Amino acid sequence: MAKNITMVKNMKKLKVIIIRTAGTNCDYELQSAFELCGAGVDRVHINELISNKNKILSYDILAVPGGFSYGDDIASGKILSNELKNKLGDNIKEFALSKKPIIGICNGFQVLVKMGLLPQPEEFEQISTLSYNDSNKFECRWVYLKTERKNNNTLCLWTKDLPEVISLPVAHGEGKFVAGEKVLAQIEKNSQIVFRYCDKNGMEANYPLDPNGSLNAIAGICNKQGNVFGLMPHPERYIYSLQHPAREGYDGIYGWGKKIFQNAIEYLK
Amino acid sequence: MIFEIEIKTKKGFSDPHGIHTVSEIEGIGIKGVKSVDYIAVYRISGGITVKQAEEIAFELLSDKITEDFCIKQYKTLEQKKIENNSIEVWFKTGVTDTVSESVSKAIKDLGINEEVAVKTGKKYRLKGELNTSKLKKIATRLLANTLIQEYLIK
Amino acid sequence: MNVNIIEILNLKDKQLVELSKTNVLSLSLVEMKEVQKYFKNIKRNPTDVELETIAQTWSEHCKHKTLTGNIEYCEEKNGKKIIKKYKNLLKETIFKATVELNKKWCLSVFKDNAGVIDFDQKNGVAFKVETHNHPSALEPYGGSATGIGGVIRDILGVGLGAKPLANTDVFCFGHPDTKFSEVPEGMHHPKRIAKGVVSGVRDYGNRMGIPTVNGAVFFDKGYMANPLVYCGTMGIIPKNKTDKEVKSGDLVLVVGGRTGRDGIHGATFSSVELDKESDVSAVQIGNPIVEKKVLDTMLKARDLKLYRGVTDCGAGGLSSAVGELGEKTGVIVELEKVPLKYKGLNPWEIWISEAQERMVFAVPAKNKNKILNLFKKENVEATFIGKFTNDNKLTLTYNGRQVACMEMSFLHDGVPKPTRQAVWKEQNIKKQNPVKVSASVLSSDMKNVLSDINVCSRDYIIRQYDHEVQGQTVVKPLQGNSITNSGPSDAAVIWPYTVVKNTKKAIVLSNGLNPEYGKIDTYKMAASSIEEAVRNAVCVGADPEKISLLDNFCWGNPNKPEILGSLVRASQACYDLSKGFDIPFISGKDSLYNEYTIAGKTFSIPPALLISAMGVIENVEYTVTMNLKDVGNYIYLIGVTKNELGGSVYAKIKNIKGGFVPDLDVKISKALMKKIHFSVKSSFVEACHDCSEGGFITALSEMAFAGEKGVNIDADLIKVDDKKMTLAEVLFSESNTRFIVEVKPENSVNFEKIFKGHIFSKVGYVSDDKNLILVSKKSKISIKENIINLQKAWQKTLQW
Repeated sequence: MAKNITMVKNMKKLKVIIIRTAGTNCDYELQSAFELCGAGVDRVHINELISNKNKILSYDILAVPGGFSYGDDIASGKILSNELKNKLGDNIKEFALSKKPIIGICNGFQVLVKMGLLPQPEEFEQISTLSYNDSNKFECRWVYLKTERKNNNTLCLWTKDLPEVISLPVAHGEGKFVAGEKVLAQIEKNSQIVFRYCDKNGMEANYPLDPNGSLNAIAGICNKQGNVFGLMPHPERYIYSLQHPAREGYDGIYGWGKKIFQNAIEYLK
Repeated sequence: MIFEIEIKTKKGFSDPHGIHTVSEIEGIGIKGVKSVDYIAVYRISGGITVKQAEEIAFELLSDKITEDFCIKQYKTLEQKKIENNSIEVWFKTGVTDTVSESVSKAIKDLGINEEVAVKTGKKYRLKGELNTSKLKKIATRLLANTLIQEYLIK
Repeated sequence: MNVNIIEILNLKDKQLVELSKTNVLSLSLVEMKEVQKYFKNIKRNPTDVELETIAQTWSEHCKHKTLTGNIEYCEEKNGKKIIKKYKNLLKETIFKATVELNKKWCLSVFKDNAGVIDFDQKNGVAFKVETHNHPSALEPYGGSATGIGGVIRDILGVGLGAKPLANTDVFCFGHPDTKFSEVPEGMHHPKRIAKGVVSGVRDYGNRMGIPTVNGAVFFDKGYMANPLVYCGTMGIIPKNKTDKEVKSGDLVLVVGGRTGRDGIHGATFSSVELDKESDVSAVQIGNPIVEKKVLDTMLKARDLKLYRGVTDCGAGGLSSAVGELGEKTGVIVELEKVPLKYKGLNPWEIWISEAQERMVFAVPAKNKNKILNLFKKENVEATFIGKFTNDNKLTLTYNGRQVACMEMSFLHDGVPKPTRQAVWKEQNIKKQNPVKVSASVLSSDMKNVLSDINVCSRDYIIRQYDHEVQGQTVVKPLQGNSITNSGPSDAAVIWPYTVVKNTKKAIVLSNGLNPEYGKIDTYKMAASSIEEAVRNAVCVGADPEKISLLDNFCWGNPNKPEILGSLVRASQACYDLSKGFDIPFISGKDSLYNEYTIAGKTFSIPPALLISAMGVIENVEYTVTMNLKDVGNYIYLIGVTKNELGGSVYAKIKNIKGGFVPDLDVKISKALMKKIHFSVKSSFVEACHDCSEGGFITALSEMAFAGEKGVNIDADLIKVDDKKMTLAEVLFSESNTRFIVEVKPENSVNFEKIFKGHIFSKVGYVSDDKNLILVSKKSKISIKENIINLQKAWQKTLQW
């Protein structure tokens, strides 16, 4: 398969920044996913970003990867979300409002939500959260996800042209999406729900297919513009069909997770 | 000054730690416990003000959507009273408390530069048919390892 | 500061023993006398720092005195006695096989923190498994967490440092349903130990971002007060980084966690038996994020060539780590420079503390500032504490005052060799009475075996581990045709595409463990465990000619001749099988003195030998999973089924007395494994699963429900070596060297050609009605079981 992987040539190389800190651990596979789609990737430690605050704005795509930032002490993503907001908040908000793609995966999703970049980066206040799984356990398993659509297309730029139901792995202890009734109604109305946990036919699912008991079975959301995307499942762990439990995928060798990264690159082209 | 900041799940939200603890208590053969509320406790001693303690509790230690906090203030720990039907678990002195190191870092991130010492503990508020010997059993068989932790019951 | 001179020069034998005991030195009289002799020679008494350093360096944990010591072994068989003398059991069995096999692809064996073999032109892969039994008995969560943390550091400390790719874990616990009244005072309930141990591995492994991909759990009342916790890590390392070269003048740099009173006497403590008053300070608590930061930064420093040597602080703390790096040069350390968690530590405590997450580096003086800056950038504490010299001495100072000065040669080679007695007497084992059961009993037996605590699904444990972080786990611990169905994988396959760009190669990890057989015969246990580990690896696609093994012995008190005898037997099996299979051991570890006292009575654990296998797969696309794939495909059973119920799960649940423990013909086994591998490479194998605990019917059930497919089996077609075997014996026998293989009809002719001349048979086919149907006309029995019910039986037991 490796010989089939050819870089997309003659294209201006887009630059992706993966922010990492103590406890980040899904950064290498995320880098591989973006690189497979032809982007250039820097994994940058937060200390370096804090000492050079404008560095972040020189990138085209921003990604906050999975892991256990600062051990997820206190609560998942909490300490990193505070640190990013207090020390780099203005620049991150600017990045989001400039409609450049931002993705937060797993711990990265928890960070985006807790700093308030999702679901409304304009407000930049925490209005939703990711709480302990109903099972009270860490859950590592593959799940089915329904790609939400409105008028036959997705609001989120990251999930264009995906099948109605895809599968991705989850691995988290705090992935239950929770928000107040008003916020929930609002993001539903705005079509900001990107993925919901479901069964293989796209219908409502119970535990363990819904691994955490999220409100409205929410697995991923985006902002109103569709450029800031956060999700609990790990698309970067499914860029090749070999990574799927039954080795399913598309074009013979790729996994559907790859399409998600490809979408961000194509959006900028 | 010593602050004890208690973090508890808000009404209307689920507390899986508490629910799970109920079934674990049953699992060790103790009957009659109807519910358990799980409360994370952070003991912060040092030169911070009440306002700063509130900021730490609101901005850092609690979740704005699902959790409430309550701050208790002591001059010395001798003033502290243990609630009825509750069990508190704390690391013994000298045992590595990894969360406390992260909390100290995060307090500095908030711009609070006063030197503080942080200790983390767990509190379980139980309801049901309880007595001291039951609480002791629950503490020693399930919630605390007395080799490295101490437990407080009334 | 507090340094004491310890009077030893004028002590009598009894007083020497007393001194060893009161200071938890765990040194024998012979050893104490050797120490006395050394200090008589240099005409002074030792300091407490010196005495503690000797005790650590000479500990069973660090020196493996039993396996490398003299053993007089006496074997009684057929009324005859055979005496054999070993000068170094390890070198004359396990290591000897490796030397004789002399594989070019073995890059570093039995000398560093882990064994290293060839991966591709540029890289090697390293593998190490450690035990952390005693600490896990006292503090299950902290004990297992620091167990996994420690073995990860072994991989960081092999050569100049490898990048960890996967973890493994294997546990032995007491029975989870033990009554509280049966749990000895001061000990934790086995279920609490099990849950705590699993949580510890989960929280440490997940936070490190290393997937835990392979393992096993075995429950037996013999492990109630002394659980076994094996933790393994595999990592990848550039071939030009597999050697350390410490030079005189290099500086000693300690990196990572601070030093506290935690884990004082861990190394010496691992050679004492557990009782309710076991030493409190032996407990360590881990902080995975500190170790993760060390990992992130040190590999950068490695690639920038900023240091010449590295090793981890494990048992014995700085004393072992610094001592090891400076063994050939000599070293001087200023103890007051070691960063402490809190004040008040005595110099000897600083020197032997086993506080976690610390690595020691040998840094050329010119790189001093560069390396400090690199660590500082990511908030990793790094402190220079000394210098490698050229005087071949260990010198320690505290605030300028010398507190220890000893010859390296005395420390590392001065330990006197003990001589121990070992005996083994052949037991007279008979075949069990024929096991005859009706169809309905057979049906319920099938489900009882599937839900037996030692067979049932481990998903409660596996799914708490992030077994897919790094994205490289392409054969997962639970494998199934869809997302809702799964069965137990034989082995895990890691495809390291994020580290080695464009690679097709992959690494397979598997294990074999069966203490139940060891209760009857440790030779057969060892042989079966080795075969099981290799068999498991071959099932997923490993090449049996590119597999390496690790041994981990957990045994009782070797001062008891029968216990040591059973250890000698197992070691002999390791030699014989390693040679027979042409598969080398590359690293190993032993944990002895696993015994505990209840009400004044001492018990030893059932001996347990964990065999871990690591192999390199040429092309990741030719890997196979165990779930059935397509309706209409044929099902083959390769290998012969013998009347071997001894130590089986079936014998246990049916309380069957007698029965032979599975034997092994290594020539046949080796030949069949090669053929299985050839079939996989020829794309003839759709699914493959080995028969082990629970026998053929259990393995077949697992393949069926994992694939959501039914099967139709004619049990009379199963090839047996004893025509008198009953159907139950055929279905539940745990004979070695058997594989169930699913093959497409169009490939069946070619597949059968490959196995010509060997014992195998086509026993049935994959059906579409989701039932397991098994017929035996000979026994007049037919069974029909819904596969969903079988899966439920398998999944229900271990859901805590």
